[in-house]
Amino acid sequence: MSTIIDILLAETGAELRKTIRAPEFVIPTLALPVCFYLLFGIMLSRGGAAETLLATYGVFAVMGPAIFGFGAGVANERERGWLDIKRVSPAPAWSYIGAKLLATVIFAVFALLPIYVAAATLGDVALERGAWLGLLMTHLLAVFPFSLLGLALGFRFGANAAIAMSNVCFLSLAVLGGLWFPIALFPSVMQNVAYGLPSFHLAEVALSFTGYAADTGTGDNLATIGIMTAALGGLAGLAWQRQRT
Amino acid sequence: MNTTAVLHAECVEKTYGNTRAVAGVNLSIQKGEVCALLGENGAGKTTFIQCALGLTRPTAGQIHVLGQPAGSRSARGAIGAMLQDSDLPDLMTAREHLSLFATYYSQPADIAALIGDTGIEAFADARYKKLSGGQKRRVQFALALVGNPELLFLDEPTTGLDQAASRAVWNSVRAMVDRGKTILLTTHYLEEADALADRIVVMQNGGIVADGPTYDIRGRVGGALITCQTSLSQPEVISIPGVRSVQEKGRGLAILSEDAPLTLRYLLDHDRGLSDLTVEKPGLSEAIDSLSECTTREAA
Repeated sequence: MSTIIDILLAETGAELRKTIRAPEFVIPTLALPVCFYLLFGIMLSRGGAAETLLATYGVFAVMGPAIFGFGAGVANERERGWLDIKRVSPAPAWSYIGAKLLATVIFAVFALLPIYVAAATLGDVALERGAWLGLLMTHLLAVFPFSLLGLALGFRFGANAAIAMSNVCFLSLAVLGGLWFPIALFPSVMQNVAYGLPSFHLAEVALSFTGYAADTGTGDNLATIGIMTAALGGLAGLAWQRQRT
Repeated sequence: MNTTAVLHAECVEKTYGNTRAVAGVNLSIQKGEVCALLGENGAGKTTFIQCALGLTRPTAGQIHVLGQPAGSRSARGAIGAMLQDSDLPDLMTAREHLSLFATYYSQPADIAALIGDTGIEAFADARYKKLSGGQKRRVQFALALVGNPELLFLDEPTTGLDQAASRAVWNSVRAMVDRGKTILLTTHYLEEADALADRIVVMQNGGIVADGPTYDIRGRVGGALITCQTSLSQPEVISIPGVRSVQEKGRGLAILSEDAPLTLRYLLDHDRGLSDLTVEKPGLSEAIDSLSECTTREAA
């Protein structure tokens, strides 16, 4: 009899295998954030950008695999009837989601590493060991709200629509959440929008580790992230319920 | 409740809005039976199967698999299913899919042996995406067997496949039939039901209209099936003495007659150009057509 851990490990292995066999997904998802970082954070930097953009591009790097991996991935597997085959089998319902989350966390580490290396070497970013760890934890925390968002999209939309919707969410969260440019450059209406986005609050927490004190308290940011994650979880749950009947 | 039944459905109903997709189905399948569920599209076969698999909840009634409620984890552990319109992820191989599924079950099959038994060795290590339609179905069939199921559901296992691929799937299924597996098969190919099943259940408008051994269902139609090319029109033919029904078949007509000699004599007398004449015992197809007709007439 397989234990719960065996199932989760086998399932996560399968997810990672599927991921690395799709280089057309892996390469852009890994390369885009670090290229952006090299360009805006290092080459075109005018003092301080290497630190601030390390914080915000880290969130950006995690968003890609989380939203697209879940959004497009789940929509595709649902549409082709694969989820039905799983639901008919005695596989526990959480193992599919749990394994995808775990695989996304692992994938996120590989998306973050090149940015951290570029920051530490080319960008001369010097942080305490504790700050690096805090930054990594914050960035990995981002997997959860964005995966749940992707999950909601994947259950709600068909494969093609899910890709389109993932793109809309991905770009809006990146730009409006201040991951590409600080929201201080935005008109005040748009700044208010940013307060409603998890990407903004995650970036604020990350910024607190790179020495850029957040304007709202980090505790408030974390609480907001918690509420938003719960809300997205509820949304994903609703979308799952809807497709069950 | 009948505790020996592998599948036991009692008064199962499923309604979607005003539509009764399944309208009070009672069905019991015993160990070792190979039962074909036949019916036209929209007859309620797939909805019934989805209830039995636990993919959807019946509006009323109960379904048990080996005494466990359909859809419960223990029921799911006892079944294997090959679903209609279901595909596996493209980027994994059959062997990888089978090994992953083996972790879900308490007593899984030996993967290497299963690959041999289902005849998929030749492509067990190729990515699923690369396989032909028939090969994919056979991998799906193997996947349905990973848990050593007590009951195997095959929903339209050969729809969309060519003759050769269908036969390959049939051979895989027959090998399992020989080992005494209990199978519930849905199909709209009569040939398939005839080739595989020992019991036939016909569904129409959400209910069961016939249920019996395959030979019995076939034998319920007396008379003969006459096929020919004739210059007579279809309305003329239907008014010939003894004729029960007429259908176009290829370039000619298929005439079901209760009194073949009478019908033939009339045909030969009235159509000098009659050609390609064959007379045979009615097959399963005619049996089911006439069963459906009877129930339609009763309902009207």
